[in-house]
This record gives sequence, C-alpha cells and structure tokens, in this order.
Amino acid sequence: MQQFLDDNIYVMDLGNSNTTADVIFELSSLLEKDEVKNKKICLKLGDVNLNQAQLLSIKSLISGINSILSCIDTKSVETEKVALSLGIIVSNISAENTLEVTPADTYKMADEIKKETVENTTESNQPELSDSAYDSTQNDEYYNIVEESEEQTQETEQQQVIEQADIQSENIENNELTDKNSEINSTSEASETNEANEENSEAKTAVNEFENLEIDNNSSENQIQISENKTNEITKKAEVEDELEVIFGKNPAETSIFNSEKESVYEEETEELADIVVPEQAFTKEDIELEGFPTKYIKQTMRSGQVINYEGNLVIIGDCHPGCEITAFGDITVWGVLSGIAHAGSAGNQKAAVRALKMNAIQLRIANCYSRRPDSLNSVYIEKTNSFTPEEARIVNGEIVVFKMND
Amino acid sequence: MIKERIRWQGVIVITSGKGGVGKTTTTANIGSALAKNGHSVVLIDTDIGLRNLDLLLGLENRIVYTLVDVVEERCKLKQALVKDKKNPNLCLLAAAQTRDKSSVTAEQLKKITEKLKKDYDFVIVDCPAGIEQGFQTAIAGASEAIVVTTPEMSAVRDADRIIGLLEAAEGIESYKLLINRVRPNMIKSNDMMSVEDVENILSCGKIGVIPEDTGIITSTNRGEPIINNEKSLAGKAYINVARRINGEEVPFLDIDEPKGFVERIKKFLSGLKQQGKE
Repeated sequence: MQQFLDDNIYVMDLGNSNTTADVIFELSSLLEKDEVKNKKICLKLGDVNLNQAQLLSIKSLISGINSILSCIDTKSVETEKVALSLGIIVSNISAENTLEVTPADTYKMADEIKKETVENTTESNQPELSDSAYDSTQNDEYYNIVEESEEQTQETEQQQVIEQADIQSENIENNELTDKNSEINSTSEASETNEANEENSEAKTAVNEFENLEIDNNSSENQIQISENKTNEITKKAEVEDELEVIFGKNPAETSIFNSEKESVYEEETEELADIVVPEQAFTKEDIELEGFPTKYIKQTMRSGQVINYEGNLVIIGDCHPGCEITAFGDITVWGVLSGIAHAGSAGNQKAAVRALKMNAIQLRIANCYSRRPDSLNSVYIEKTNSFTPEEARIVNGEIVVFKMND
Repeated sequence: MIKERIRWQGVIVITSGKGGVGKTTTTANIGSALAKNGHSVVLIDTDIGLRNLDLLLGLENRIVYTLVDVVEERCKLKQALVKDKKNPNLCLLAAAQTRDKSSVTAEQLKKITEKLKKDYDFVIVDCPAGIEQGFQTAIAGASEAIVVTTPEMSAVRDADRIIGLLEAAEGIESYKLLINRVRPNMIKSNDMMSVEDVENILSCGKIGVIPEDTGIITSTNRGEPIINNEKSLAGKAYINVARRINGEEVPFLDIDEPKGFVERIKKFLSGLKQQGKE
C-alpha cells in the first residue's frame, strides 16, 4: 500500500539487456514486484531492436499488472520508429545523464522527458513526431478510461492513499528540499494538494485527483517530491536501481534472425480454411484490445485433453503437452515446451502472438489463420535442455510465421 | 476355408472389448490398404477423449474439426474429413480429444455413417475399448464387425463377451475374427493358444491372422501404416485382410516360416543355445 502511493512514475532500467530475450526476462522479473503495479512505467532500453509485436507484448505485459507504459528511452532507431507508430512517447536521454542520476531524480527526469517530448512534438514540423503526439494523446485518453474502471474497484485503497498523502505533504513543508529548481514550486504545490486533499476526502474525488496527477505535469512533479521524503523506500529502490544501472551502448545492435518455417497448404485445405468463421464481434482496435486485455497466469503442466479458454492474455508457466488446447482472446505465452494446439486472438485479433520457449505446437491458430507443424518434425518427444531459443509466432502478410528470438 | 461374402458392404466396426489388442492399428492399416487398392475409404475414430487413430496415420497436425464438432453442428461433415497425406482416397474423421464419450450419441453417429456410406466405398469405425456407452455408440451405425483379439485368455474372454453383444445388437449382419499378435514360435512350443484354438473357443470365423511384428511399434511412432512397408509380414497380412473385405479369396499367410537367411541362422543359433542349456 505504501508503495502504491509512492509516485506515479517508475523507471525501469533494462539497459543492461542486449537481446530481446534478456529484455523480456528482466522485465518479467521486474514486473513481479509490487511496487511497479498501478504505475506509469518509463522503460530504459539499450541498443535492443524491438519490433512491433515485441513492443506490443511488453506493453500488454505491463498493462497486465494495471500499469501503463508511458515512455521509452531507446538507442535503437528501429525501436524508436516502432514505438512512435504505437503511440508510445520516445525520449532521448544521453548516456552520461542517465548514469549520474539519483533514484529520486530519475523519477523526476522521467517526467521531464515527458514534458520535453510533448513540447518537441508540438513544436516540430516533422510529420512522424506530430503523429506520435496525436497517438499519445489518444492513448492518454484511453488510459484514463482504464484507470477509472480500475480505481472504482479500488475505492478502499484510494482512501488510504489519500490519508497517507496528507502526511507526506506535511512532511514536505517541514523538510528542506535539495532540488533548487523545484523547491519553491513543490512547497507551494504541496500546500495546494494539502488543501485539495482535505477537501476531497472521499474516495470518488480521489479518482479525479489521480487523473489530474496524470495529466497535469505540475501535480505529478509534486508527487515526485513527496517520494523524496520517503527515505526508506527510496533506499530500497536505489538498491534496485544500482543493480540495474549499466552503461548503455556497449554492445553492437542486435540483429534478430528470422527463421521462418513456412509450409504450403493443400488446395483443399485452403478451401476448408476459408470456411473458418471469425465471430461477428471481431474487434477492430486491435492494439488497444491487446493491451487492455487482462492477463491470466497458469502454473501447471497442461496435459492431453485439457482446455483453457480465456478472454484475455494467457501466460502458462509449464509445458503444454500434445492434445491440450489453449485459446485466448489476446496473446499466449508458454514458459515451457508448447506441443499442443494454441489459438491466440481467438476473437479475431490479428496482432495477437503465440510465444514459447520451445515451439513444437501441433497447430498454431492466430485469429482466422491456421498453420500446422511440418510433417518432417515428427519427433516423439522434445529433449529438455538448458539452451532453448524462445520462439514467437505471429501473422505476417496473412500467414503465420514463427520467429526465433536469437541472440 | 471360410467362404467370404462377395463383398462387405457399408459400415465396418472394428472392436475388441479388451484394450491394447490392436483395434486402432487394424483400423489404420485396413483403411490404408483398401484405399491403396483404389477404394474410397473414410475412417471414424469414436474413441473420444483418447484418440489415437490420427497419430497412427500421421495426421495429428491436420485436424481442425472433429466428430464432436460435426455432431454439434459447428462445421459441415465435409469440413471435418481430413485427407490422408499419401492417399487421397483415404479420409479420417477424428475424435475430439478434449471431450468424453457422452458427447456423441448412437443416433447421431448413425446419421453420420449413413451420410458417409453414400459417398464412400467403405466406412470403418474404430471402436473404443470397453462395453459401455462408447462401444454402443460405435456399433450403432455398423452393418459388419471385425472382432480383434490376441491369443491370450483375457482377450479371448473379452472377445466372447463382445461377440455376444454384437449378436444382440441390431444392424450387425456379420462379424469376423481377426487374431492379432500371433507368435508362431510360442504356438509351436505350446506356450500360446493356436489360431484354431481361438476360433474354436469363440466359434467364429476368422478374417485374418496378423503375426507379431516389432515394425508395428516403429510405424506407429512414425505415423505411417505398416502396410507401406513391403518387407513386413504383418503389413502383408493386413493387405490380405483388406482384400478379403473386398470379396477376394486370399489364402492365409504362412506365418510359421522364418522369413530370411538371417532369421534362420538366428533360429538355428537359439536352438543350439537351448540344447546347450539342457
């Protein structure tokens, strides 16, 4: 609970991960912590090239814990492009700055980045950037909608948050702030919020307050100052940050090798495939759908005959044996060997993907596409080794293609 | 010698009562052999929840719709038929793996077999083990039955029970015995019931005798019916069964004789070994 009120923005430093697999691994371990829940997350990526599907899945992973991917710091041009196309704000922080910042400053910096990018996008004439600004505003609207619904369910939490926020703001007045620039602003604003909090003691008004914090840069800055006083948590976070802090740009850009395993389908079968009917309620805003879906974690071995049908993203921690069927509206991620039938985006979402440490699926279905395991791969069993190459299947030009996430 | 009918008509159910005697292997091989001879064949797996026929044919990765989908009208019958990789005459209607036997009733299967009978020369139904609902469903649409048994007392007992149920069932016009996993060597040394013994115990005519063959295991794992292996004696025996179903008169294979030079030497050596022990 204390961590919840801490502040709205959390910086994740993934600069030490040089491959997509590393990034996802780091991310998944970071996302397990409580302190990243219900936050706006700022991702620091190094030289890693992420494609659209990967970034989308990261986004959906983050939204799975009720947080929002607000901005990205990357050195890769490709990732930047993809992020812009997805409406994620991209910021450029020089390597020196990022190395020297203290944890408290990083939170603030994340916010400044946001400011800067918004300013840049509005001022500049480049079409790409203006597009991104447009997208980001759209996304903000969307996030607000999401948060509303979340916060309605967490009314009791909000109340506690406000009580604690009051105490925090009082502390601010008592203590001297180190940051010269924000000193005056933060104290005055702290008193403002103090008043605001006294007025808005009910949970419903807290919802509004939180929305304001998100949209209004000043108020969120204030939130950061609050966090400065919470020395205990800062030290905790500082440890984490120190662990994660690694120099950017040491390794060359990662090149993902695409080992597409395609197989031609019989004519008769294509006829049959044409008959697979996607339900009428097929979604159109696919990106938004994917990140808006809830995520379900399943920790078990899926055996023959077992069926999982979920209206959201599925993460299965364990193997999926032949004969099992996994169906999800969103992505399917299998932390193990996938040998059964997997159907991602079963409501018609073309952007959905299937991921597995070892892709041995008898059939893969994504939205209305279908692919089967090549007959040449008729192995009786998969030998378990320590060196799996994670694979991802998604639709490319109307065909399901399996990509190996190589180093 | 048993006189066959001119030609088996309609729907053939392959059943046994006891599990593990080779129903599914028999279904896959007879179906493939008939298709290889130019007949159009459709195989129906009624072992819902424990399907294996698709594995034996190597069609596991092609199944989109199943028998249950057809019954519950989620797809057309034609959509659910999976064509064989090698032989376009052969089709498979697979069972659902994620459901149970109660998903399909006898009447529903009967409707399906009647539809298929019009379009295909042979409809072969793979029956689940046991005598419960699954068995009753599988035999519902059938007019002929092949009872698979092995020369073991338990399998023969179960076959006897099954024959009793088949005689009581409506619609089954004729039934024949198929004796599987026969080991001539053990019969010679009186360790195993002979084919004639089984026939006498069950008082039922046989349609084929299949010798034990380790090649069955490899063919199952590879997903290729053993009839495609020309060297295999079991494959030849299955081809002969298919020809008898088609009305041809084929003499039974002499499974006693060791096949090749190597085997003869092996036999000779094993004989020497036994003599040495004595």
